[in-house]
Amino acid sequence: MRLKGRLAHRFAESPVLLLRLPAWRSRMVALLIIAAFAALIGRSFYLQVLNNDFLQEKGDSRYRRDLEISASRGRISDRNGDILAVSTPMKSIWAIPADARLSPEQSQQLARLLETDPKELARKLASDKSFIFLHRQIPPETAEKIAALKLPGIGQNTEYRRYYPTGEMTAHMVGFTGIDGKGLEGVELAFQNQLLGHPGSRSVIKDRRGQIVEDVGSIRPPQDGEDIRLALDSKIQYLAYSQLKQAIEQNRAKAGGIAVIDARSGEVLALANWPTYNPNNRESLSGGQLRNRAVTDAFEPGSTLKPFTIALALEKGRVRFDTQIDCAPGKLTIGTATISDSHPHGPLTVAQVIQKSSNVGAAKIAAMLAPQEMWDMFDEVGFGQVPELGFPGEVTGRLRPWKRWRPIEQATMSYGHGISVSLIQLARAYTVFARDGELIPLSLTRQEPGVLKGTQVFSPQTVREVRAMLEMAVLPGGTALKAQVPGYRVAGKTGTAHKLEGGVYADRYVASFVGMAPATEPRLIVAVMIDEPSAGKYYGGEVAAPVFSSVMGAALRTLGVPADASVRVATGDAEKESL
Amino acid sequence: MLRTWESPVRAPAEVDPMLLWSALILLVAGMVMVYSASIAIAEGGRFTGHQPTYFLVRHAVFLCIGLVAAIAAFQLPLKTWQEISPWLFVAGFALLALVLVPGLGRDVNGARRWLPLGVANLQPSELMKLFAVLYAADYTVRKMPHMGDLKKAFLPMAGAMVAVGVLLLKEPDFGAFVVIIAIAMGILFLGGMRARLFAILIVLLLVAFAAMIIVSPYRRDRIFGFMDPWSDAFGRGYQLSHALIAFGRGEFFGVGLGASVEKLFYLPEAHTDFLLAVIAEELGFFGVVAVIALFALIVQRAFAIGQQAVTLDRLYPALVAQGIGIWLGVQAFINMGVNMGLLPTKGLTLPLMSFGGSGIVANCAALAILLRVDWENRQLMRGAKL
Repeated sequence: MRLKGRLAHRFAESPVLLLRLPAWRSRMVALLIIAAFAALIGRSFYLQVLNNDFLQEKGDSRYRRDLEISASRGRISDRNGDILAVSTPMKSIWAIPADARLSPEQSQQLARLLETDPKELARKLASDKSFIFLHRQIPPETAEKIAALKLPGIGQNTEYRRYYPTGEMTAHMVGFTGIDGKGLEGVELAFQNQLLGHPGSRSVIKDRRGQIVEDVGSIRPPQDGEDIRLALDSKIQYLAYSQLKQAIEQNRAKAGGIAVIDARSGEVLALANWPTYNPNNRESLSGGQLRNRAVTDAFEPGSTLKPFTIALALEKGRVRFDTQIDCAPGKLTIGTATISDSHPHGPLTVAQVIQKSSNVGAAKIAAMLAPQEMWDMFDEVGFGQVPELGFPGEVTGRLRPWKRWRPIEQATMSYGHGISVSLIQLARAYTVFARDGELIPLSLTRQEPGVLKGTQVFSPQTVREVRAMLEMAVLPGGTALKAQVPGYRVAGKTGTAHKLEGGVYADRYVASFVGMAPATEPRLIVAVMIDEPSAGKYYGGEVAAPVFSSVMGAALRTLGVPADASVRVATGDAEKESL
Repeated sequence: MLRTWESPVRAPAEVDPMLLWSALILLVAGMVMVYSASIAIAEGGRFTGHQPTYFLVRHAVFLCIGLVAAIAAFQLPLKTWQEISPWLFVAGFALLALVLVPGLGRDVNGARRWLPLGVANLQPSELMKLFAVLYAADYTVRKMPHMGDLKKAFLPMAGAMVAVGVLLLKEPDFGAFVVIIAIAMGILFLGGMRARLFAILIVLLLVAFAAMIIVSPYRRDRIFGFMDPWSDAFGRGYQLSHALIAFGRGEFFGVGLGASVEKLFYLPEAHTDFLLAVIAEELGFFGVVAVIALFALIVQRAFAIGQQAVTLDRLYPALVAQGIGIWLGVQAFINMGVNMGLLPTKGLTLPLMSFGGSGIVANCAALAILLRVDWENRQLMRGAKL
């Protein structure tokens, strides 16, 4: 210490040295540098503490992304839980072209896994868009292989693909969804709101190569769509579809439809059309295949409407069960037009008018009714109204206002011409005969009997009488012997309608049959329509009734409905029905 | 041994412990941060062979070489350093010229700053900073009697600086040029060059810088990018805007070591020139303040050691110590100022911390010389002869 002090003293006294290395300069330079560092601390405080909101916002806009977590669409099943439509996860491969700089080798591998032409892939990746899909909905196993390549700028996300295990059999009923997962047809569209899942979201930070680094903020979980359980019974649907298809092939028909309804609950147990399509592969679809004819196409039903005319006349007291109607000579001229029976009849009771299906008889009974009375009845059983099942393209059919009816129109409407209905409307209207006069709404989903409230159209007495007449129609002397079902009493009505083509009735027909069983306490209604049978037979009793018989019989047995008749089927020559 | 341990009077330190610890902490922290900042690009890059430790291993090797260089440098007395300083300066000059020889120098990102040495590249401009300190100090001591004379004291040095400057700007390495000019000017100023002359010189230099910036579009672009990075945030302002975002994300305590997002391919040069931005993001305001404080401490110790040498009538060691202080201080300030958007972007690393072999080795050697000055001071004060 003494040495140091002495040295310091000595140097301090040296003026030369002070002049040479002025201490103030050294202190000033050091101070300048320290001051500059202090400025850096100030700047750092400004950036990190005062202005960090602005900077973090800028950062978030560069690497924070909100991602959608896809939600699966609800399943559609039949009444027994058998799956009709289900979503399975698939992967979609996307690219950010600006980041996707692939080596030739990587491009080759990717093209091979995507099963595309390498040139096509190169063309897509050369796009100036900021985001493109390379391939949508590939199997997860393939997607995993692609992920393992760790390609820059290539990513994938989960999408759901809809599968329809029952395929074409339930195509019109279930419908299908588009690639965006929204329902386009059938139940898929009708129950869109319930089926649709609500995607969740998560906020993530991504690195510049698009890889997720971490989650930020809270995750909103996806809500999967609700499952829908239909009233449909797959077994009955299968029967209905296959029998319809068979009948159409045998009769070389253009198209057809069938509906099976539970008369107690209004549930639609089966609904099928032909032609149909495979909802799992919709690449070559035409509009005709897509049409759910049973609800979208109205046709002139023909004689299947006669029971409504008769029931109204009975209800109003204009005729009784056994009132004689003179149907000779099988022709009736109203104004300038003439209507005729295909086979002339003599005097017929009201019951026989149904049994034999006499147009002249129906027209004469209609003449006892006021146009407004008939219009009101048609309206009450649902004709001219949307059936409101929720299907897309449901038609109202054609029911002209009664004030503009001409007498000939009222006459033809009594036997189902000059009026048009859809098959589902017709089937529903028959609930009045199956339920002692009450019309109930139909339901695509499961429904307990007695829940859906209907409207009373006819009195139970009237309906019992009409049902007896409808039973006569399938017995010897009636038009539809082939509609009989072993073990069950059946009540039903045939229809064979000329088709209107360009305003003129052509020699093309729509054959139909609507019936119910067991007749003592009807459980099921089956309505069958065959469009343009061209293999020779065209009567409803010949073409549609056999379909009814086999579907009804099998359906009743499937549901375990107790028999109400012997298993022997009555035989006899079916008389040719009139138009 | 036991007695020494128990002795209440601790033996006086051989070298300045504050300086030694500050430097060691910065070196070790730098290695950790280089690893953190480089791990993603090392793993993601093809040239690294997808090795996440690619830069860490190299940085550690450079630190070892730096340690060896430091031990070697510490062995040489300042007297010897003074004797060989003109030759070192000439050698540095030759190396700078070699870089520019076609076929010898190596280009990276449009700048020719490296000489390939087989396993690693040598960056002569980093060595030149150290040589400039040693030479400018020697020059100043020799010209001490004529410090007031423009012709004798200033012009030769100015000539040497112009020659070095021409070579550096050819590369181009504007950052090294600024640092070397700052070293030379600073040492002349400390050496007592006339204040008026100095003032004129500063004005002239400012005019020259301004002219260069206006003439060269490359530098002008960099200036504009720094003024408002958000106006062209995905073009000229890209790098700086990401550096600033890193600061903003760090807040007080940072997002945590290793958790930086900016280093995930967003911020270019995260492990070299923009290492401080990653420190700011991961360790926050307090991390940045710690780094600045350690550098301030090193600068303060360098000047204190220099002043101590002055009191011991050791002019050359005094100027060398303070010159090293100026070098590390100025370069750290410029690098950090660039990171924070206070200064235009130029290629300067953060001393002692950033990835870069030549820089680390030169910094270690410089610190060793600084410690040698201190050691010699202490020896003299104990009455020992050198």
